Amino acid sequence: MIYFVLFLGFAFILGSLAVASNPSPYYGVVGLVLASVVGCGWLLSLGTSFIALVLFMVYLGGMLVVFVYSVALAADPFPEAWGSWRVLGYGVGFVLVLVLGAMVGGLVECWKLGVITVDGGGVLSVRVDFSGVAMFYSWGVGMFLVAGWGLLLTLFVVLELVRGLFSGAIRAV
Amino acid sequence: MSLLHLCFYSSYTLSGLGLAFHRTHLISALLCLESMMLSMYIALSMWPVENQTMSPALIPILMLTFSACEAGTGLAMLVASTRTHGSDHLHNLNLLQC
Repeated sequence: MIYFVLFLGFAFILGSLAVASNPSPYYGVVGLVLASVVGCGWLLSLGTSFIALVLFMVYLGGMLVVFVYSVALAADPFPEAWGSWRVLGYGVGFVLVLVLGAMVGGLVECWKLGVITVDGGGVLSVRVDFSGVAMFYSWGVGMFLVAGWGLLLTLFVVLELVRGLFSGAIRAV
Repeated sequence: MSLLHLCFYSSYTLSGLGLAFHRTHLISALLCLESMMLSMYIALSMWPVENQTMSPALIPILMLTFSACEAGTGLAMLVASTRTHGSDHLHNLNLLQC
């Protein structure tokens, strides 16, 4: 199980390497999606499932979708590519499915992979991340209000930046 | 340094290098910034797990909130500069060049 988390860690490095060395922003977004999916799996392996779900929903489903739309606005219409990326992706994906199936199914005797977490059991146990984030409403209520106010201000900042009524012209991009 | 710490540390460094050496597009720099925020989120999330304390668990949520604000503002500036200059190529942003 330790080696699976390390594999997720190395895949995280690969994803951010893809973001840093992208031939085109389209492939940079692919690397960022890979890094966030693998990072979510990493946090799940550590046991903090709420933090992982927040990462998926807010980061991947909120921010990265907006980034994909902006990349479609601002990037080249004919980007350069990485070579036979599709073939490599298919190959790596199939090998991963095979290895994971062997590990979970217990086919390989030395790679037993349990699917039961060790820090959650019963109804009355206190989870680390659930209780910690719930402190946002009790002890951290000041920062909660500051963060909400900051988000509202950001909405108006963005509206003012892209208005372009008398400072810049609205043109077809 | 333990191996998982090395993973997010090297990811942060790689994204920082990508931010420093971005080549043509402004949005590549914004993507590298987002990757730095992601590695910081993972790093901050490992703190309550390793020390078994509960209250640092809200720090990554707070960081994600402000990172969303920053990403929105950066994308608004990207859209504004694309509307003004026609594309987001960095060699077009040369108003201060003498």
